[in-house]
Amino acid sequence: MEKMSRVSTALGGGGGAVSGRTMFCHLDAPANAISVCRDASQVVVAGRNIFKIYALEDEQFVEKLNLRVGRKPSLNFSCADVMWHQMEENLLATAATNGAVVTWNLGKPSRNKQDQLFTEHKRTVNKVCFHPSEVYMLLSGSQDGFMKCFDLRKKESVSTFSGQSESVRDVQFSMKEYFTFAASFENGNVQLWDIRRPDRYERMFTAHNGPVFCCDWHPDDRGWLATGGRDKMVKVWDMSTTRAKEIHCVQTIASVARVKWRPERKWHLATCSMMVDHNIYVWDVRRPFIPFATFEEHKDVTTGIAWRHQHDPHFLLSGSKDSTLYQHMFKDASRPVDKANPEGLCFGLFGDLAFAAKESLISSDANRKPYPGGDRRYPIFFFKKPDLTEQFAHVSSALSVFETGLESGRMDWFSQTARLYLLSGKPFAELCDHNAKVAKELNRPQVSTTWTMVRIMFSDPANPNLSAKLGTLPLMNSFSMKDMGACPDMGACPDMGACPADRGKEGRSDAAHLEPGTSHISNNDDNEETEGSDGQAEYMFGDAELDDDDLYSVEHDNPAEDQEYTLPQEAFPLRHEILDNPSAPEPLQQDKAESPHVSGGEAEATCLTPIESCSLISASQPLYTAHLPAGFFCPVVRDMLRYYAEQGDVQMAVSVLIVLGERIRKEIDDLTQEHWYTSYIDLLQRFELWNVSNEVIKLSTCGAITCLNQTSTTLHVNCSNCKRPMSNRGWVCDRCHQCASVCAVCHHVVKGLFVWCQGCSHGGHLEHMMHWLKSSPHCPAGCGHLCEYT
Amino acid sequence: TVMQVSVINTVDTSHEDMIHDAQMDYYGTRLATCSSDRTVKIFDVRNGGQILVADLRGHEGPVWQVAWAHPMYGNILASCSYDRKVIVWKEENGSWDKMYEYTGHESSMNSVCWGPYDFGLILACGSSDGAISLLTFTGEQQWDVKKISNAHTIGCNAVSWAPAVVPGSLVDQPSGQKPNYVKRFVSGGCDNLVKLWKEEDGQWKEDQKLEAHSDWVRDVGWAPSIGLPTSTIASCSQDGRVFIWTCEDPTGNTWTPKLLHKFVDVVWHVSWSITGNILAVSGGDNKVTLWKESMDGQWACISDVSKGQGAVSSITDTQQSEQ
Repeated sequence: MEKMSRVSTALGGGGGAVSGRTMFCHLDAPANAISVCRDASQVVVAGRNIFKIYALEDEQFVEKLNLRVGRKPSLNFSCADVMWHQMEENLLATAATNGAVVTWNLGKPSRNKQDQLFTEHKRTVNKVCFHPSEVYMLLSGSQDGFMKCFDLRKKESVSTFSGQSESVRDVQFSMKEYFTFAASFENGNVQLWDIRRPDRYERMFTAHNGPVFCCDWHPDDRGWLATGGRDKMVKVWDMSTTRAKEIHCVQTIASVARVKWRPERKWHLATCSMMVDHNIYVWDVRRPFIPFATFEEHKDVTTGIAWRHQHDPHFLLSGSKDSTLYQHMFKDASRPVDKANPEGLCFGLFGDLAFAAKESLISSDANRKPYPGGDRRYPIFFFKKPDLTEQFAHVSSALSVFETGLESGRMDWFSQTARLYLLSGKPFAELCDHNAKVAKELNRPQVSTTWTMVRIMFSDPANPNLSAKLGTLPLMNSFSMKDMGACPDMGACPDMGACPADRGKEGRSDAAHLEPGTSHISNNDDNEETEGSDGQAEYMFGDAELDDDDLYSVEHDNPAEDQEYTLPQEAFPLRHEILDNPSAPEPLQQDKAESPHVSGGEAEATCLTPIESCSLISASQPLYTAHLPAGFFCPVVRDMLRYYAEQGDVQMAVSVLIVLGERIRKEIDDLTQEHWYTSYIDLLQRFELWNVSNEVIKLSTCGAITCLNQTSTTLHVNCSNCKRPMSNRGWVCDRCHQCASVCAVCHHVVKGLFVWCQGCSHGGHLEHMMHWLKSSPHCPAGCGHLCEYT
Repeated sequence: TVMQVSVINTVDTSHEDMIHDAQMDYYGTRLATCSSDRTVKIFDVRNGGQILVADLRGHEGPVWQVAWAHPMYGNILASCSYDRKVIVWKEENGSWDKMYEYTGHESSMNSVCWGPYDFGLILACGSSDGAISLLTFTGEQQWDVKKISNAHTIGCNAVSWAPAVVPGSLVDQPSGQKPNYVKRFVSGGCDNLVKLWKEEDGQWKEDQKLEAHSDWVRDVGWAPSIGLPTSTIASCSQDGRVFIWTCEDPTGNTWTPKLLHKFVDVVWHVSWSITGNILAVSGGDNKVTLWKESMDGQWACISDVSKGQGAVSSITDTQQSEQ
């Protein structure tokens, strides 16, 4: 101990003079190990084919001495390891691949500086280590599993230690305990020995899974030993207690070949890897996940690392298989943490924001002054803070999900609106009013007004009843909405005639379902407004009547059958016939009666921007007095739809587009429409609004969109008669020539919802089966199976 | 107008080190986080909850970024790490496992991003070695790898895909045939550049090089094109600046930058709202700001979220969206 401190003081005196820069030099051959002399002025590089001493000058490495001499150098020159004596500056030791331990005396006058040669090991010597304070004591560890202690004044080893644990990979004298050394083994063990007791180790423990390639005693902390293994880990052990205790563990990305504590930095150590990874890492053991600094200069495996001076943390030397020798300046190291993103940010589907941020930044926010200009590449915690390593070591993040109060940012309105909007099934004016009401209730006045305005612009001005009402008040308020869904008996409904004809064919079947409901409303409420639209609808019907045959032949592929077994048995409306042509059938020409009547007040047209729509209503009295050409409002509406789309409210654009149908369709190019439709459908599906999405697809007039529903899910079924797989098409089984999906109750082919028993595979119309199984537990097909309907 | 921004959920992630990314899935129900502690965690955040549903371990270094694939391919998450690996995780029968591990780079993997579902299962990965890889799932556990070497000198920090846009209408497409999409993505790197890449005849080519930043580009985000006719990209940088790049030219050759704002600190992230009309920006001062383009084409800050606080100060809304 006494000697040790004396040495330190001596070194401390000269240590302050170390200066230099990041630099490198080419070697003639790959290096296996390096070692620095005690005053940090020279470095020795040893390898299989190299053994040289370089002077470390300010700007460059200068070759001082080549220790490989002779025409045919002996295998003793083939070095696995080298160590420069830390007290005797002329003394070096090498570990040779042939098992020799060699010492070199630079003070020799001859060219060959070889001093002692010990050939006691039988296999490669992996490590040599001088005692830190006992000048003549040298320790070696070999592949043969033995460690030997040499007194350099004697010709032979003074003691041999048998680890009985396979090959020795590293031996290190303790910095503080005079008699203690640590040895690491290929089988994962670490042993502690007392130099005076070669018979058995003081302590042994398993440090790693697989070979322990290296170990290093902490220069200041008595009892701290770092070990590195093939398991890619660096572990720090507290050896001061009776049982070795793992106090830190760092996982690197490759097997750890060397580990060296950093001088003057209690928590730092440097590592390099044996393969794959060529970088040198400096870790703060308290932050085991991310290196504190990395040196990325080497192009091949780094084989030797050494801190240039034992009291200077700023210079690191390294040798590599790429035949270079480097001096790294710490200030030039790359800092992975600086490149690391300290924040995570994500906009959620509902307009919520997930934001993760580094907590040390947050807490220091309050007392942190904005730092002056300059390079901001490096986060604050590397500057200006007194304890840099503390800043590095304790880092965590907080993750919060924020809700924005922003109307257009939060997406609640989107799904609500999507669910509540009516896009078809009612006269045009009612749809608009309904939607206006929905928007109003969701506190979206602008959208609401737009709907009202659209209604005013496109409603039939020729109808006096309607017109009389128009200018007075927002009509949706006087309109009482009934439950739209409940209308089960549509097939028998005599009110088919009230079907509004102001939509394309796609909306037609839905309209038929819902129409009776609306007509009831209009009758009961005796509302002038609804009367108006009723009248309009009737008027329209006269025109649309012509298409009815067409319509039915398209919608029902087997009209005869459907008439005989009336439709209400189907639980849901039949879809239209799937056509091979992917583009949609051209909408029927129902609009021709409509569009000529579209008109509006000329005076108002100038202020018809969506935002000012309120003024339109109050000033719309003369609306129907001037007779405007068809499509007068179309450019305005088109711009309005564009506006909404650009604001991200593609829902509005598509909804208006559908409700207006032919009135506006031709004003907007197909591509734009298609884009709106696809965008809206994508959004609906993200919000899992499958029904709305399906309705929109159905109501769309874009060929590309309607064909989305034709690429439907394929369900492979077996024939319920012969139990063989059904062919791809048709209702008839190829093998037994029976209709396969026949209702077991009514014996007709099921084309709507088909429900079947998974036990006996019989089934039929949903309603029939429900009804049947209410009264009987047995299969309606008579197979005897006890079917269960849940 | 004062925009209220409030914390609805503070997620206790139990990550042992810094979190580098947090991503919500397609349906907004799950949140994936990744950290320096080498783990990826998945939380169920439905109804304001925060249930840890998976803790994915497999990386050997800090995990920088995660990305959710479109749910039509299943529950798939990609992660990239300092350990030079990209891992694709897949949930099957409730458990998450490695579906694919990609180790084709020589340095840290900084960014991953799944392409639009229309392109199939395709992942772009940017690395500190300057290259960008495109991994395409070809079925049967096979992945096709295409690499753009030297995409950004010193390193690529971020990648983001363009929405799937078809040149011309779908109407003329024969039934059942896949439309001929143009695959494009944007990347940002340590060369201070934003670059656009385009696939032509199966080869990835540099399409555009956008110069405006004076320091590392930290993040890029291609805006979803919901109802928008233009292509829009946001980029942010160490230089504190956020640029909005727009291209109205149908050939895609003319991109104009507009400076959104110059912040005093590094800007780490940009994130678009799903409708593409609001941009969230997070910077080194640990603040998130929300930006919206006004009628006259200017970008205005509509809200300002400080971490660790509840409701926050806000900046006057220059354009009233719904009021």
